Amino acid sequence: MYKKRLPLVEAVLLVLLIVAPLFLNDFLTVIATRMLILALLAISFDLCWGYSGIMTFGQGLFFGMAGYAVALFANKLGFVQIWGVIPIGIFTGAVVSFLLAWLLLLGKKPPEIIFVALGTLTFSYAAERLVSGWYWVGGGNGMSIFDFLSLGSFEIEAGRLFYYIAAFILLIVYLMSRFLVRSQLGLVLAGTRQNEKRLAFLGYRVRTFKAIVFTFAGAIAGLGGALYAHHEGFIGPNNMGIGISTMAVLYALFGGAGTLVGPIVGVLAIESISFTLSGMDEFKSYWPVILGVILLVVVTFKPDGLLGFILSRRERIGTFGSEKNDDEPK
Amino acid sequence: MDEIIKITFDILSFSCIMVLIVSGLAIIASLMGIFNFAHGEFVLLGAYTTYLFQEAGLPVWAGMLVAPFVVGAFGLFLEATIIRRFYNAAIVAMLATYAIGLIVREIVRPLIGGRFWRVTEPIPGLFEIGDMSFSIWRGVIIILTIIIMTGCYLFLAKTNYGLKIRGAMENPALARASGISTTKLYSFTFAFGAALAGLAGALMVPLYLLFADLGLRFLVMAFLSVMLGGVGTFEGPVLGSALIGALVPGFQWLRELPIIVDILSPIFSEVLVFITAIIIVKFKPQGLIKRGRL
Amino acid sequence: MDNNQNRYRSNPSRRSFLLGSSALTAAGWIAAGTGTFVLKPNWAHADGHIKMGIATDITGAIGASGNTCWQVAQLAVSQINDAGGILGRPIELILEDTASDPGVAVGNVRRLIQKHEVDVVLGGITSAMREAIKNPITKRGKTLYLYPQLYEGQECTSHLYCTGPTPYQQCSELIPYLIKQGNKRFAMPSANYIWPQLLNKWTRRIIEENGGEVVLEEYFPLDQVEYSATVGKIKSEKVDHVFLTIIPPGLGPFGKQLFESGFQKEGGTVSCVYYDENSPFYVEPYALEDTYSCLDFFHSVNDPFSKQLVKDYNAMFKDTNYLLTAGTASTGMYRGIKLYEQGVIATNGDLAREAVSEALDNISVPEGPGGPYKTVPGTGHCAMNMYIAQNKGGDWNIISSANMVPPNECA
Repeated sequence: MYKKRLPLVEAVLLVLLIVAPLFLNDFLTVIATRMLILALLAISFDLCWGYSGIMTFGQGLFFGMAGYAVALFANKLGFVQIWGVIPIGIFTGAVVSFLLAWLLLLGKKPPEIIFVALGTLTFSYAAERLVSGWYWVGGGNGMSIFDFLSLGSFEIEAGRLFYYIAAFILLIVYLMSRFLVRSQLGLVLAGTRQNEKRLAFLGYRVRTFKAIVFTFAGAIAGLGGALYAHHEGFIGPNNMGIGISTMAVLYALFGGAGTLVGPIVGVLAIESISFTLSGMDEFKSYWPVILGVILLVVVTFKPDGLLGFILSRRERIGTFGSEKNDDEPK
Repeated sequence: MDEIIKITFDILSFSCIMVLIVSGLAIIASLMGIFNFAHGEFVLLGAYTTYLFQEAGLPVWAGMLVAPFVVGAFGLFLEATIIRRFYNAAIVAMLATYAIGLIVREIVRPLIGGRFWRVTEPIPGLFEIGDMSFSIWRGVIIILTIIIMTGCYLFLAKTNYGLKIRGAMENPALARASGISTTKLYSFTFAFGAALAGLAGALMVPLYLLFADLGLRFLVMAFLSVMLGGVGTFEGPVLGSALIGALVPGFQWLRELPIIVDILSPIFSEVLVFITAIIIVKFKPQGLIKRGRL
Repeated sequence: MDNNQNRYRSNPSRRSFLLGSSALTAAGWIAAGTGTFVLKPNWAHADGHIKMGIATDITGAIGASGNTCWQVAQLAVSQINDAGGILGRPIELILEDTASDPGVAVGNVRRLIQKHEVDVVLGGITSAMREAIKNPITKRGKTLYLYPQLYEGQECTSHLYCTGPTPYQQCSELIPYLIKQGNKRFAMPSANYIWPQLLNKWTRRIIEENGGEVVLEEYFPLDQVEYSATVGKIKSEKVDHVFLTIIPPGLGPFGKQLFESGFQKEGGTVSCVYYDENSPFYVEPYALEDTYSCLDFFHSVNDPFSKQLVKDYNAMFKDTNYLLTAGTASTGMYRGIKLYEQGVIATNGDLAREAVSEALDNISVPEGPGGPYKTVPGTGHCAMNMYIAQNKGGDWNIISSANMVPPNECA
């Protein structure tokens, strides 16, 4: 009999989430808010890979496009109202991911995993290059957002208030995702992970479900991107390309894919280490190397990520890795 | 007429560079199903080795000779320690190779000070035909590529070892069941693929500059070439890379036509190559040349 | 200039790495916890130190320029502190690495302002970096910002002062000179980002005003590797002069392919207004030979202050690989620091942003790298001397100069 540890992990994180700003000064609260927003990106990846077996190197694409969208609204139209910015982010993320899903996931034959991975990679790469050459969106410079995110005439600066807004949004997204993966749809996805062909023979339109999840994840990534742009006051091509897409993969894998809390843990861990190390001069140049080593070690020895130390296999709802599924013919 | 010859020469030389870069990736992908995200860094290491020779005062061509062996040895090391754990899990292998690529790239970056460095070609200058001048080094690359590709083809098609490799490419399980030692085969092939990449890097770095993201520059194009050409054969990706290699400067030359120049900026024409490739792959998922015979 | 040639041969990598950690501590920098490095003056004042924040790229692609800026900043501040500080108060230098990554920079700059509460920030090199950090500094951070690099102009944000040359300053002398040399047909192959785009607008205007003609203006991705079509067009359109704004890595292949087409052999000339004493590292000698550049400073400028400055710099940083050049923003960095010094003197020690900013609006400084300079009121930019130079055998020979060229921005 295994212990149910997942609810405990969830509870601990929830408490931390609520209490943290009381212990952190303003500067660190801003850093923490950024981590919460990135957690949205990481969750969006986990929904695709950990739960649906879609290896995507393109979450950065939706994140970045939404960021650019709200930046354009802010700079060209002067629109920075939060009740508009959030839907814009969600909508942009959803539309772009839906288009991508249509191109890559749907069609006569089911696509190979490699094709989807490379396809998302290519589009992310192409978008980054397009945007860095397009003057109207700031080109390689990106765009600064001068006005603060607002509610009416009240400005929401980066700080405690923004933190709680981001925390609230993260909580909602987490609960919605949790609900999704434990719903009937989630069961279908679980079946897909076990044996996609069998499920298709049973009559389930597997690809449609995958597309739905992909779009939902894209919407979340878009929401994250919109918040990120306003929080940082800046959006650029490297918020859109392969770099940030791969960070999403890294966050989720390091924390533990297929758990929804894993990505959050992963973001906290990696961003905290990055923040601390960027202080120490000896490591500054070599931080990316350390990041690479971490990823390599995780992928090779501990594909379950950090949460693999705490959660048992049964609680992890999704694994794709070097573990062989017993009933999988090869 | 002059223009056409010039265009052909330029397109051909870039195609050859793409073929050199992609051939190593293709062999690894076809044989082991692993898309080596660190392939760009093998190219980088080849270029870096050549640069080191130049800085040490040694002849550049010597660096180019040594580079494939250095990178091949590195490939052998990687295969033995890390890659072979992932033969059953292609996706995880991708992530592992991405990590390796990241590590290599970020080690090289501070080593070259994060800057751009020139590497002078062993035979600089031009050769002239009529009143047209062509870069000697590009000509050398074209000739070398033809020789190397012919050599690879002959090796795969005519030798015993090549037969084993082809067999393992088509059907790994059957190959193993037939008694072919796939472990040694895989080691050799991975090292060979890495060596090819190192050679490509060494040969092409004089045409460009040495910088840490040199490998990344070609990575996406290389992947697309393999997908386009079709995983599972050798000549498929070679064809794919030749095609992409022709499209990249080709689309640029298209801009010479009056109407096109207004709609197609250099940036967009590059993106267009990617989109074209993805669309072709979508409609021909097996690639241009299906898993088949040499 | 044999020494320079030898320098180009030496291995840059280990040096630049060493200059990182141990040199910082050796030079008295104290690691201030999370990220920053602080250079505290060794004497105090009742009113405390003046805190100067330097936000520049120590690591990453722009690291070479960033390190130069940082070293020049140390030189300038040590000169000021050795002379008694500003009105008796010493300057405390605080360094943040913007890592050539605008996304990262935003966070680090926030640290400068929120944690260290600096009185002024100098830094940013690429326009992308400036765009990213100007908002956290001037608007959200409500702090004064001085930007030291040559750039595309049109930066009119209040409390943001630019101490590097503008497009007008770089082109207004160079282009008429080139046309006088007989160049009528110009090509402008460019990197696709904002600096070449806005610079080219100015260049085109000045070319056409002086009777020249622009036959080709194209924008390429930064890492474009194949330029055969463009080079072919340059030849077939009988271009006299290429006004080059492509940057590395695309610069390498373009330079080679242009040379290989026989352009220079047939008398074509090239200019590139960011080429300086660092260029031999990334440009082939045959591509660099006879090119023109126009900057606010060259080592060969015959000005005693400039010559002494280079000597002092090389003495403070023996065997450094980071040369004091105009293309690395370091001349602008020096100017900015001295300008700030004058500003604080003018306000009689009042460090409030509004007060210093108002003072900065109208200051003349008699000595600087390349000569005197002054801020032009209401514009946030500086007038300075500009020099046209041509490269011969790796060295820049000054062939023409102009005094106190106006910036012609934000009028």
